[in-house]
Amino acid sequence: MTMDDLEHELWPPVQLEDCTDSSDNTSAKERKKPRLPLADSFFVETKRETGFHRSTRLCLERIREAMLHHRWQEAAEYMAWYPQMIEDTTAGSGHHYKEIIWRMSTEILHHHPNSKMDDYNVIYERIKHSGVKHYLMICLEHSFHLMLHGQMENAKRHLSIAESWRHGKESACQIQMTKLIQAYKSLLDFIIWSDKKNAPSSTNITDPQSSQDLHNYFRQASVNLKEILKYPGVWDTFILSYVEMLEFNEDYQEAEKVLQDYAYDNTFPSNPNAHAYLFRYLQRHNASKRKLMNVLKILHKLVPSHELMLDYSSFLLVSEKKSNTKKALGILLDMLDYACWRTSMDVWGGLKYVIDKLQLQEDWTEVVAEKMSARKGWWPALHFTRFHATEDAEQRHQLMEVKASLAEILCPDIKLTYSAVQTINGDR
Amino acid sequence: MDYQFPRELFSSFYNCGPPDSTLKHCAGHWGSYDRVGLQGGSGPHSNCTGTFTSRHQVRGERWRHTEPVPIPLFNPKKSFLWPSAPPDPLDFTEHMQNFFIDHCQDAFGCMSEILGDHIYSKKGLKGNQQRHAGLPRKIKRFIDMLNLPVCHQSYSSRSVQAYSALLSDVLPDVPAELLGSLLYEELTEQRDSLLFSEAATGGALDFIPFSHCGDFQRGCLIYPGNQGRDRLNFRTVELEHHRDKCFSVNSSISEPFSFQLKGPIRQISSASLFNDCCVAVRSDHLCGVWRCSERDQPRLLQVVNTREAATCISVSPHVLGEVLVASESGTANLWTVGKGIQKVHKDDSNLYFNAKSSWRWCEFSAHPRVVLYADRTGAELCDIRVSPASIHTLFRISNTTQCRSGERLIFCRYLGSTHPFHHILTTQHSAYIMDERFPCLPMLKLDHMMQFPPMFCHVLPGVSSPGPTGGVCRTTKVVLGSQSSQEITLLQYSGGRAEACVRHGPPRALLRPCDGLKHLPVQIPHRMDTAANRLSSPAAGLTCIQKSEGNGASRECFCVLQLTEAGDVFYQILEHEGSDTSLAPATEDEPQPQQTAKVLPPQWTLDNGTESGRDSSSSHCLAQTDSQLVVPDTSSDEDVIRPTQGSTLPTLIPETPRSKLQDDASSETGSEELETQKKGQKLKRLNLHVRVNDDPAGEDRKKNKTDDPEHPAGNQETTSNLTSTVQQTSVKLSEAAVILWKRWLQKLMLISHKKKPRPQHPHHLTLNSCGLLCLSRDKMRELSEEAHVTNVRRQLRACMSNHSLLVRSTVPSDSTDILPFPDQVDTEAWKDGLSQRLTLSWQGEEMWRAWWEDRLGLNNDKKMDALRKKRRREREAKRAAGPRLDLSGSFTSSVSYQSDVDNFSDFTGWSSGVSQGARSDTEGTEMLSQSEDLVESGVPEGRTPTMLLTESTFPTPSATPPHGKNTQDNLGTPSSSKVYTELKTVQLEFTPSSQRRSKRPGDHYLSSLFGSQESRKLHLHCPASRMVPLSMTTTSWMRATRSSTRFHPWPTRRSATAPSLCPPPRLHWGGRGHNQRRRSHGWAFDFGSQYCTASWFLVDFFKRKKMDRIFFHLFMITLTKDIVTSSRHGNRILIFNGQAFF
Repeated sequence: MTMDDLEHELWPPVQLEDCTDSSDNTSAKERKKPRLPLADSFFVETKRETGFHRSTRLCLERIREAMLHHRWQEAAEYMAWYPQMIEDTTAGSGHHYKEIIWRMSTEILHHHPNSKMDDYNVIYERIKHSGVKHYLMICLEHSFHLMLHGQMENAKRHLSIAESWRHGKESACQIQMTKLIQAYKSLLDFIIWSDKKNAPSSTNITDPQSSQDLHNYFRQASVNLKEILKYPGVWDTFILSYVEMLEFNEDYQEAEKVLQDYAYDNTFPSNPNAHAYLFRYLQRHNASKRKLMNVLKILHKLVPSHELMLDYSSFLLVSEKKSNTKKALGILLDMLDYACWRTSMDVWGGLKYVIDKLQLQEDWTEVVAEKMSARKGWWPALHFTRFHATEDAEQRHQLMEVKASLAEILCPDIKLTYSAVQTINGDR
Repeated sequence: MDYQFPRELFSSFYNCGPPDSTLKHCAGHWGSYDRVGLQGGSGPHSNCTGTFTSRHQVRGERWRHTEPVPIPLFNPKKSFLWPSAPPDPLDFTEHMQNFFIDHCQDAFGCMSEILGDHIYSKKGLKGNQQRHAGLPRKIKRFIDMLNLPVCHQSYSSRSVQAYSALLSDVLPDVPAELLGSLLYEELTEQRDSLLFSEAATGGALDFIPFSHCGDFQRGCLIYPGNQGRDRLNFRTVELEHHRDKCFSVNSSISEPFSFQLKGPIRQISSASLFNDCCVAVRSDHLCGVWRCSERDQPRLLQVVNTREAATCISVSPHVLGEVLVASESGTANLWTVGKGIQKVHKDDSNLYFNAKSSWRWCEFSAHPRVVLYADRTGAELCDIRVSPASIHTLFRISNTTQCRSGERLIFCRYLGSTHPFHHILTTQHSAYIMDERFPCLPMLKLDHMMQFPPMFCHVLPGVSSPGPTGGVCRTTKVVLGSQSSQEITLLQYSGGRAEACVRHGPPRALLRPCDGLKHLPVQIPHRMDTAANRLSSPAAGLTCIQKSEGNGASRECFCVLQLTEAGDVFYQILEHEGSDTSLAPATEDEPQPQQTAKVLPPQWTLDNGTESGRDSSSSHCLAQTDSQLVVPDTSSDEDVIRPTQGSTLPTLIPETPRSKLQDDASSETGSEELETQKKGQKLKRLNLHVRVNDDPAGEDRKKNKTDDPEHPAGNQETTSNLTSTVQQTSVKLSEAAVILWKRWLQKLMLISHKKKPRPQHPHHLTLNSCGLLCLSRDKMRELSEEAHVTNVRRQLRACMSNHSLLVRSTVPSDSTDILPFPDQVDTEAWKDGLSQRLTLSWQGEEMWRAWWEDRLGLNNDKKMDALRKKRRREREAKRAAGPRLDLSGSFTSSVSYQSDVDNFSDFTGWSSGVSQGARSDTEGTEMLSQSEDLVESGVPEGRTPTMLLTESTFPTPSATPPHGKNTQDNLGTPSSSKVYTELKTVQLEFTPSSQRRSKRPGDHYLSSLFGSQESRKLHLHCPASRMVPLSMTTTSWMRATRSSTRFHPWPTRRSATAPSLCPPPRLHWGGRGHNQRRRSHGWAFDFGSQYCTASWFLVDFFKRKKMDRIFFHLFMITLTKDIVTSSRHGNRILIFNGQAFF
């Protein structure tokens, strides 16, 4: 037997932790997919299970059971024993256990009466440095923890360390994590910037030192914030901070462009907030009505029930065009389709106003009939039943009046009980 | 402000493409904050203070169980219980057996028709057939015996087993292979449906709350009843709160109002508007809509029949009387009750990728004319105002961040009551809260951490308006239920309006009925089994009763009701005990739980003990410090069933043997107090035991305590209310609950006994015990050898320590070790051909080959030459001796020789002349060969058995080969039947004749024989036992066994003079069409002496083209149990009674 063989015999091969996510893929492919949509069981006895594995498996089962039933003390006691799983070299995939240990112990600490900040730090640091796979994620979580407990400086320090951390091949997941870390660091920069800006000492804006400081923070923050906005996603917090800083530095063009991109980039999910931000920004900067209406028009297509639709309809009504009144009617009727607006006095009032305005035109009946044709089948049941009438009469008398006056106009062909109830109540 | 959209959402990446990550750990989202956002940050952040809020709030509301077990709501009803364990598709012998018994007509109909004539004796039967008339009676008796489902081993019948071995592949009408695969499919399906039956999605339990009055929350519970769950019950129930006691659900307000349906109820969906309720019920092919309200009795509005199985029904929350029905065909219909059905959506395939699932679902959405249509791959919103419906994606497995690979949509529900734009979608890993205004990206992802996918869901809306209880915002609670494992999980989240959605606290597992038994007093085992079986039947529905706000100062609570497939409804009530947000953070002065934990109270409750030792937390102890004596509690429970208190429960049977014992004791002593004392002592003894287990934990906690002396300062999240922690886990089973459970269990027992009456006579289990108690000889030898070896070892060790030699004298020699040398075989005594051959084979291959050549007549030419020479010499001698020639004589003789030559050149395998000397008429070799010409003549079973016997008179040239006769015989048999029923073939067996069977040259045969013989040394060791060909028809076998006294089908022992002659059975190839033509069989074996020197058999299998190979097909079987190997084309052939034959 050669020397190599001896070594091979004596020392079991160390499981090199792979630093990529490729293992996820291969294992998924290897396993035959179950026909039933059942979750995998984690507590399966494996064939070559040693006593140690068995006891750790049972221990994990117990911890999980206790945690699911919120018996934290019991879970903590088991948890004290469990981390020796890390020492096990034969388990090929050590990082799962590390993640489990981190998650479970943090959760137990969250609920255990005696947990303190140091315990958290120990857990975070230990697991963070026990494997490369979860470093970034745990770093981020750690800084979240610090942020939530008001330790901004500490959090920022942790984020800066993590920002520059590189290991192995950069996977997509790792890149995203890095970007997030950078963005959160910039958010902290922004907060400092914001604090400095609002601080009483900075009333003297002309002070070159403080303005230089502000600019530095702005520069630090803006680079990363701008960077993450390139990736499709939801970046409400980041974009608001970034736009605020741009506005402060009077870079309006950039701010508008950023918001436009955020709202209209097709690769991004259709976030109603993006349109709302753009609208509000434009409103703040006194953009033209046309521009505002364009934003709202697109938003109306996406979210007909958005609260900005009230603004949209009023914009339309203000404009002199005839067709716009019709549009406003459509928008208000759309809003009333949704459950959340059905008892809103604003919308019904707006509708009444539109109808009143329409009635000045000659062809108003056709216009109303056109808009109502699709709703004929279900609007009476949706708004004008006897039950609606009794409830409105009890709770929203004003609304009832408006609705009753509109009922006949909107559904002229159908005999409605709504008005009848109203008259009874009115008589009373 | 329902219309508001969160001003700021938590940041996340938006990834498209199929998910590639798999969940590798069981920790879900535990411990992570999952992004943070700036608090109160709307619009410009200029005045933000830098306070953050996380998407996962560490703390949720605390809800405490009022009882540690779910409580049964109704009395147990009769129900049919499926086996709880899914059938194992691989273990189908049992299922095959069931099939054969239950559907014997399907399984054996045709063959029994055909065979019936032969098996059952009729008047007209003649000859041999009559002899078998006794057999069916035997079989019948055997089958009668088998009727007792007891040990089959004890009723063995040789003949029956022989039949079963012979006919097992002939008799079934459906080929076993086909049946096997069908059965496998069926079993797989059954298992799947037990693990995950998607028909039950949605759940068949619902509750319609009525207006509430005071402390009562009254409502109508809708649930399926009856054994087949095909009775729809409406029943008024009430969630009560008593000042002194806790909450309870009262179901005895009124009798249920019920409707009988035609199929099992799968799903109940309801929606109420203005106190008027619409209830839609789905069974597999029928959907019905009922209407009910607080005042009116429920009445049926309409029923529709669906051609395809309906998979979903949902009632519109917008317009009463609108119902969506989805079916497996992929259509979704909007059914306006009383008006008509409108097709809304049609999709033949799955939405986004092929998930091979026909499960469809549909729900209403915020807009009354936009419906959500879902299948396993995702969900989309269809606007049905336009035709065709305009569609956009709401949820898609591949577009949703952090989806796992293999994740599938299980269930979805529109959360109209909670948030007008929210939907909850569950997968096997998570529950997603989707906002339909922002499709594709979930507002919130909640990991439910259940082991089985959640199929039932009830969402309790959070109360955001300040109520009289102090204006605390309550979280929205999602209660998810899974089917097969009965899991219920409580998740909490808030937000969705002005604030982004935030989840609160980790998931909480609620109680399951199947876990309840361990909290209850111990039962005797068979009752335990019945109860456990009943309680662990899969869940079939879930609903909640929420006690609404504004009922004065009473505590908030909600009740979770769960329906099981057995038809039982269990409820558990959760009381609010204040969340951390509403309670002041704990100060450091507050007593630590560890301090109380150190003081273990003297009375440790029994139910804590049974609850398992791991419930060791300090909390219990604290709860018990207020000295609630549990011992009297449990004893008073026992009182319920005491005969002296028979007025309360006159018919109930005593619960446990223990209680019965105590009853006896009490009647004897007449002192109840004494009895309770006794019991108390007993319990205390038990308690002691529990405490011992828990002590180390307490010490551990002490140690922990010294390590962590103080709380973190300024950490609001981690400081906690200790008392609440303690209270949460210290739920004790109340007396009322124990009584309830007891009654329930007792009634269950009564029912289950009524259902299957006790059998009149116990089954007599008989086992063959012979051979069990004495060790077999092998085993004995093994044991003695072992003992011997250890003995020697010990002595060797002793010798080594003494530095002495181990000599033989020190070793106690075991006389049994020395095996007697077997007697030498007297070759002279064995005169048959086989023995000769075997004897010769010892002398070398030459001899053996020569023997064969001789035997097969390959040296005929030489012989003939020799003969001719001899005759020539004789002739010459005669010529020399006498002047006249007898021409004719020489002519005939030469002709006969000539024909012999022809014969020999054509002959397949057997020649003569060799065994002339061996004047044994008992040696039998037979060959079942298939002649080509017969096959060509169109006889399907062209296996013409030819029998060649080497008689003493051999060779006798036969001028009339029995060709035609055989053909006739074969044609005479019904060709469709595989049964060969001719007698004549058997009679042929003893026609001493050499027959012309085939045109194969003998030397080919021989060379092939040699070839195979050289490759495997033919040494058979056959113990004296019985061999039977595996497959052959009944009749021929019977005939074989009876037609001649010369036949010994089971030659148990070789007679002193001659080996037994085995019958030439007609081999049968039941059902297998392949290779029929090319198979020819002959078989022969004889048996040696006790030591079985040899046995010989031959089954040849000619392949016309490949003469160099002979396939040995052995189909051998014994009638004893320990058979049996038949082997095909193998060198190592058979194992017979544990011994190997080459």
